[in-house]
Amino acid sequence: MSESLLEVSDLRVDFRHDGRLVRAVDGLTYSMRPGQTVAVIGESGSGKTVSARAIMGLLPPSAKVTGSIRFDEVEMVGLSEKALRSHRGCGVAMVFQDPTRSLNPTMRIGAQIREAIQTHEKASRGSAQDRALELLELVRLPAARERLEQYPHQLSGGMRQRVMIAIALAASPRLLIADEATTALDVTTQAQIMELLRDLQQRLGMGLIMISHDLGLAASFADDVVVMYAGRAVERAPTQMLFAHVRMPYTRALLDAIPRLENESHAPLAAVPGQPPNLALREPGCPFTPRCPSATDRCREHAPVFEEHEPEHLWACWHPCEDRVRL
Amino acid sequence: MSSASAPLSAPLAARAGRAGRLAGSPTLRFILRRLLAAIPVLFGVTFLSFVVMNSLPGDAAQELLGAQATPSEIHQLEAKLGLDKPFLTRYWDWLHQAVIGHLGHSLSSGQSVASILGSDLPVTFELVGFAFLISLALAVPIALVSARNPNGVADRLSMIFSMAGLSVAPYVLALVLIYVFAVKLGVLPAIGWVPPGQSLWQNIRFLILPAVSIGLGLLCFYTRLLRADLLEQMQGEDYVVTARAKGLRPWRVLTRHALRNSLFGLITVVALNLGTLLGFTVVIEDIFGIPGIGHELLQAIDNRDIPVIEGIVFVFAVIVVLANLAADVLYSVLDPRIRYGQPTE
Amino acid sequence: MANLPSDLVVAGVAPRADEAAADRVAGRWRGRIGVIVPAAMVGFIFLLCFVWPIIGPVPPPTGGNILSSNLPAFSPGHFLGTDPVGNDEWSRLLYGGRASLEIALAVQAIGLVLGGLIGAIAGYLGGWRDATIMRVLDVLIAFPGLVLAVAIAQGLGPSKLHTIWALCFFSVPAAARISRAATLRVREQTFITAARLSGTSFPRMLLGHIAPNILPQLLTYALLGMGIIMILEGALSFVGLGVPPPAPSWGNMIAQGQSTLSAAPRYVFLPSAALFITVVSFNLLGEGLRARWGSQ
Repeated sequence: MSESLLEVSDLRVDFRHDGRLVRAVDGLTYSMRPGQTVAVIGESGSGKTVSARAIMGLLPPSAKVTGSIRFDEVEMVGLSEKALRSHRGCGVAMVFQDPTRSLNPTMRIGAQIREAIQTHEKASRGSAQDRALELLELVRLPAARERLEQYPHQLSGGMRQRVMIAIALAASPRLLIADEATTALDVTTQAQIMELLRDLQQRLGMGLIMISHDLGLAASFADDVVVMYAGRAVERAPTQMLFAHVRMPYTRALLDAIPRLENESHAPLAAVPGQPPNLALREPGCPFTPRCPSATDRCREHAPVFEEHEPEHLWACWHPCEDRVRL
Repeated sequence: MSSASAPLSAPLAARAGRAGRLAGSPTLRFILRRLLAAIPVLFGVTFLSFVVMNSLPGDAAQELLGAQATPSEIHQLEAKLGLDKPFLTRYWDWLHQAVIGHLGHSLSSGQSVASILGSDLPVTFELVGFAFLISLALAVPIALVSARNPNGVADRLSMIFSMAGLSVAPYVLALVLIYVFAVKLGVLPAIGWVPPGQSLWQNIRFLILPAVSIGLGLLCFYTRLLRADLLEQMQGEDYVVTARAKGLRPWRVLTRHALRNSLFGLITVVALNLGTLLGFTVVIEDIFGIPGIGHELLQAIDNRDIPVIEGIVFVFAVIVVLANLAADVLYSVLDPRIRYGQPTE
Repeated sequence: MANLPSDLVVAGVAPRADEAAADRVAGRWRGRIGVIVPAAMVGFIFLLCFVWPIIGPVPPPTGGNILSSNLPAFSPGHFLGTDPVGNDEWSRLLYGGRASLEIALAVQAIGLVLGGLIGAIAGYLGGWRDATIMRVLDVLIAFPGLVLAVAIAQGLGPSKLHTIWALCFFSVPAAARISRAATLRVREQTFITAARLSGTSFPRMLLGHIAPNILPQLLTYALLGMGIIMILEGALSFVGLGVPPPAPSWGNMIAQGQSTLSAAPRYVFLPSAALFITVVSFNLLGEGLRARWGSQ
């Protein structure tokens, strides 16, 4: 096992959409070690999902990927489709947001898991089925044996997500990406699934990338947090440090938007004002400018550089937030 | 297919039984409701054809006796055949016998309508079945290859050919095929039919050209339909992304995932097609001299042979109604979401 | 367009992401060509069949001289030859096309108006009225139209008009079904409810609000149906209906040519080719329109 599991360097992903060039990811850089949990936080359109797909090698051939993604010392960018296929599911696996639509409704659970197993190793149907059962028990699905023969719609949302996780784990990946894996679930189930993921990760020594818009979730489960905006990483730090010393106005705004028990009742929720930017129009300067309370002309004209300003704490801002006494 | 053969453990079997019974009940009620709704349709169709046939000049008696017959001879025969009774009486007579399965006898030959149907229907079914077989067996692989590379070479070619195939009239195709294969090349027979009992090989030889005539149009139609559905699945469905994330090859994603779901739509269309198909079958049978239901129908109209016509029309209508019903039922039975009912916690 | 290309595109097989800026413009032009070219073909066919015989040197399709029968193609004065009774084939082709097209147009027009109206009324009113109309339509669709056609041929004699009646039997219920489905979809939209609440009268609702919204679909369907109707007209000629000879229609030319298929296949192939080209043109036009309008 190498020291570094994943190293993303200056990742850029461009799409052509409606004749325009859309830069979905613009210079993303972060790394992670085996067994680590990284949370990638952002609004929709921030590029978090596309970057995850890039790591999976799931982008369409029309997407232009530049930069570097080194997984286990192997460069992913520029790999052939064939090589990417052997990588998917086996090196990196992914759990998606909507387990209802992500499972084939006309295929039994057992068959779907077996498929994941048999794609990467030669296994007889019987042994694959046994392994599928093991996986279902691993993800703590009750009545696992019966579930193998059932169809997705016969399970509840939380159970389906467990099945998705079982499928993802089938080929023993070293990195698991959970793309908004709990967003579609109710709060209790959310907590259960997150606990399960953390437990599995520790047991299996996997790396875990959590993609979410929920900073609160990141606070509870992640070692490092990467905040993305408009395709760029805008702040990155170990979790404790990020929450203790928030620097980016955007991250600050996200934090403030989380409803807290301590706030007065009926106090208006502090939402982040404005809309995420149109990625087809690349302006010079910081993309957060229109919505930033601390924005100045300098922000409009020159994009701040994403660099390490304090030990282990990187951000890109001309006017970072000061330390504030936090409740 | 899926792991349908895996032995069910006892608790699962019990649960499936319960679920099956639960699901069976609404399905059964659904079928019953549709069948009941179909009855007025059958009634309407047979009545309509009765009206139509009786508005035609001449009747069976006249046809049987020919142009030389005297009016009194005709009247005699009419009385004997029961053709002198009032219109509604005759319909009622036919109807209340028909609902218990007595379809009467041919006015021209005296043969029982049921036996006429019995000998002609299988012929037509064999022809139509053969046509369906050819069209479906080819449509699936062609659609798969097209969907594998949308807008690729294979796709564009198949779209062009299927558009052409759709635009050819079945009878034109029949005549072209006869000209090429029977007249010029002499490899296949043009007219006639050999029952499969006599010689299966000959039976097939005589059926190839007519089946292709009908089947080509179907093939083109199904190919386009399936391809469109496959593309919709591949481009729009999340489970396809999951499949790709597992590392599956695109071809496997197509065949093991998308195809399953697309076949549903295809099956329902196939069932619905049946009705419209019967019309063209008549012409094809006529051209190729196949002694099926269509041929029988044309003759019966010529002879004003009302019981035969009513019998055939009745069967046609039943087939159309059943086909429509089958389409709906098949869909609900094959889709495991409906078959296995509600989620069990 | 503030959002990323959706997961749908990322899922992988979509060619849409492949189109460059130039492609986007080209795509629109491709859509236009998809309509313009078939429309031009259809227009050309109409010109040939309806206008050219009037202004051009086309001999009459009937009343030919038996002495010049069965002439092969490229004979002097008859570049497609003559039929077994001496009529010029080229002329028969043109006039036959005119007859077939007239029939198809009439049938589709009646279907569109009558069927469209019935379907819209059924779809809009709903309830028992809708159910009754649907029952009646079911009966008509389940009824073997061929029986009716043969019956008409035998009872009333074959003629262009009777052929049109028989074919309307197919086109009206089919159009009604489409119209009803389209109306049901349109009915759910809020502007309909708004109009109803403001007391718009029923005929105005139908004509002013429903009709313009279902018209594109109906028209596309009508165009696609032209091909089927023309093919059906041919089928009717085989069973004794259709245009009565000696007046030509593509349908009866094919049916008649059947008897001389081995000796003189061109009597079948010429009208078949003409029919094929026409049906393809209509089909392409219908598909082209559906592609353009469907994407809105």
